[in-house]
Amino acid sequence: MNKLRRSLLLLLLVLAWALAPLLLSRHLIDLFVFAGLFTIGGLGVGLLLGQCGIVNLAQALFYGIGAYSSAYVTVQLGLPSLTGFLAGMLASALIAIAVGWPVLRLTGFFLALATLALSLIGNVLFFEWDWLTGGTLGIGGIPKLSIFGFAFDTPERVYYLVWPIAILVLLLADNLVRGRPGLAMRAMRDAAPAAEVLGVDMHRLKTAMFVICAMLGSLAGSLFAHYVSYISVQSFTVERSIAFLLIPVVAGSASVWGIIAGALFVTFIPELLSGFGDIHQVLFGLALVLVVTLLPDGLIGGADRLAQLLKRRMA
Amino acid sequence: MALQACRSLIALAPTALLSLYPLPALAQTTASREPIKLGAVISATGAIAGVGLPEREGILLAQKTLNARGGVNGQPIEILIEDDASSPDVAVSKVNALVHSHKVKALIGTSGIAQTVAVGGITAPLKLTQIAFSGLGPAVERERTCVFHITPSQELNARALLSYVRDMKASKVGVLHDSGYGQVVWNSMKDLAGEFGVTWSQVEKFEIAATDLTTQAAKVRASAPEAVIVISTSPMPFRNARQVRLTAPIISVHGTATYDYVKAMGDAADNIIHAEFLIAEDPLPHQREFVDLFQKEHGRLPKHFEAAGWDAVMSLAQALKTAGPDAANEALCSAMRRPYQGVMAKFDFSAPDMGGLTLASFNYSKLVKGKFTRLDYSAAK
Repeated sequence: MNKLRRSLLLLLLVLAWALAPLLLSRHLIDLFVFAGLFTIGGLGVGLLLGQCGIVNLAQALFYGIGAYSSAYVTVQLGLPSLTGFLAGMLASALIAIAVGWPVLRLTGFFLALATLALSLIGNVLFFEWDWLTGGTLGIGGIPKLSIFGFAFDTPERVYYLVWPIAILVLLLADNLVRGRPGLAMRAMRDAAPAAEVLGVDMHRLKTAMFVICAMLGSLAGSLFAHYVSYISVQSFTVERSIAFLLIPVVAGSASVWGIIAGALFVTFIPELLSGFGDIHQVLFGLALVLVVTLLPDGLIGGADRLAQLLKRRMA
Repeated sequence: MALQACRSLIALAPTALLSLYPLPALAQTTASREPIKLGAVISATGAIAGVGLPEREGILLAQKTLNARGGVNGQPIEILIEDDASSPDVAVSKVNALVHSHKVKALIGTSGIAQTVAVGGITAPLKLTQIAFSGLGPAVERERTCVFHITPSQELNARALLSYVRDMKASKVGVLHDSGYGQVVWNSMKDLAGEFGVTWSQVEKFEIAATDLTTQAAKVRASAPEAVIVISTSPMPFRNARQVRLTAPIISVHGTATYDYVKAMGDAADNIIHAEFLIAEDPLPHQREFVDLFQKEHGRLPKHFEAAGWDAVMSLAQALKTAGPDAANEALCSAMRRPYQGVMAKFDFSAPDMGGLTLASFNYSKLVKGKFTRLDYSAAK
C-alpha cells in the first residue's frame, strides 16, 4: 500500500513538473531554471557537508570556472558547447586535486577558512585576468546551448534540460551515498579515528569528494553561462559560495534529495521577500535564522517530523 | 560539528545584514486609473546601492511630477521598480518578470554595466526600449539599438579627465585605479596618452575591495606627477593619497561626485576636481527646476545620479507622447531616437552610442569644504 502511495505521489510530482511550463508564468519558469542550476551546484557542497563533514565555501570558484570555460571556448574559440563543458569540468577537477590535496589535510574551521580563501582568490583572479574573463565588463554573446541542432533558447526548453540533469546527478549521488563510499564517508564524518583504523584512506576520499563537488559546480556554471548568455565577475563572488552552502544547510545536510528543497528555498524565498522593498535581504536573513532554529534537521527533517506527528494523530 | 558551525554562522546573519543595510526607501508606485506601466530595475542593495538609490529617488520624483502634470497625454504612468541587489543574475530574473509577466512598455535601468549587458539580452531581441544608467559597454551593445545610455561611455569619461589634465598643462600624470570600474575606464584611457600629450608617471591598480592603498598612493607620489587621476568607486584612494601628502591636483570621474562619497572622504575631499554633470550648488538654467523640486521633496541637494533617474523617465515620457501609449516596441524605440534636453545634459539618443553625450556635456567642479564649486572650464573649448 505504501509502495503504491509512493508511486502515485512520484507520478503526480513528475506530472506537475512536466506541466509546469504550460501553467506557470515565464518568470516562475526562469526561477525554476535557476533552482535547477543551484540544485546541481549545491549537491556538491551538500555531499561534502552532509556526508564528509566538510564546509566548502569555494563552490563559486568552480561555478565560475565552468561558466568562463564555456564562454571562452564558445565565444573566443568558436568551438562547440560540449567542449566548454568538458574543459570546465576538467579544469575544475585538476584545480580541485591540486588545491584539495594539501588543503584537505585541515579540519573544522581551518578548512572552512581555507575554502573561503580559495573563493576570494578565485574572485580576485576573475577580476584581474580581464584578458580571459572580461573583468567587470564580462563576456557577452554566449550562444544558447544546442544539442543535435535543437536549441535550448527559451526558459521552458532550458527547464526541460536542467532538471533531468539535476535528477540524474542526484540519482548518482544517492547511489554513491548508499554504497560503500557513502559508508566510508559517514564513518569518516562521525568517527574519524575509527574509520582510519578500519582502513579508510580519509585524505584520498576527501579529495575525491572535493573533485566531484568541483565538477558539479563547473557543470552548473556552464549551464548558467549558456542560459543567461552573459557572465561577469559579479556572479561568482563569495556571496554565491555562501548561497551554495545554504542549500544543504537549509535542506538538512545529510539528505541528498533534500538539496532540491534547499535550492528552491534560496531561489524563491528572496524573490517572494523582494516585494517588501529594500528590507528583503534582512527578512531573508531572519527567514534563515527561523529555519535553522526551528528546524534543526533542516526542511527535510522538519517535513519528516510533521509527517510522523500527523501519522501518530491519525492513528 | 561542521553543520553546527554553519548554523552558528547563519545565526549571526541578521546582525551582519543589518549593518550592511542601506537606508530604506518608500514603496514605488502610484495607483491611478489605467496607467501606462513602465518597469525599472535598479541596484537598491548590494555593492552599487550608492548609485541605485539616488537613481530611484530621481525616478520617483519624475513619476510624481509627471503624474501631477497630467501624465502622458492625460494618462498617468506607473513605474514598477525592482531591486537587482547589484547582481546581473537577479537583474535578468527581474527583467523577465517585468517584461513577460507585467508587460511593461519600456524598461528603465539597470544601474551597472554588467547588469545592463545581461538584461540587454532580453530587451534587445524584443526591440523593447531600455534606458540604461550605464554608458555604452562591450562591443555587443553597439548592436542593441533600443538600449539607450544616459551616462557616458568609458572612453568619453577618459577623454573628459584627460582634457582637463592637458589644459592645466600637466604632462606627467599618475593614475590610481581599482580593478573593477577603474580598470574599465583605464583600458579606454591608456592609449589616449599620445593624443592628449601626457605621459604616465606611475599607474597603480588596486583590488576593488581594498581598504588600504597607502603603498600604491606612495608609489604614485614618488613618481612626482603634475596631476593624479583617480578612477574608483571607493573613497579610500582619496584618503590615502592625502595621507601620504600627495599634493598634486587630483582629478576624478563622475562616479565619486556624490555627497555620500564626499562624506566618506572626510577632509581628503577638499580640492578634488570632478568631471561631472550636475553642480546643484550652482545649477545651470535647465537644471534649476529639478534641483528646486528635489530640494523641496527631500530637503537636500541632488547630484547627477538623481538627475539620471529623472531624465530616464522624462525622456521616455516624451517618446510615449510622440509614439502614443499603445505604440509597438519598435515605434517607441524609434520615437526615442532624437535629441533630448535633460537635466544632466543634452542627449542625442540617435547617436551611434545611443546617448550622444559629448565632452561639452561635462561640467567641472572642485570640492571646497564638502561643497561642489563650479570651475570656469569647459572641455569643449
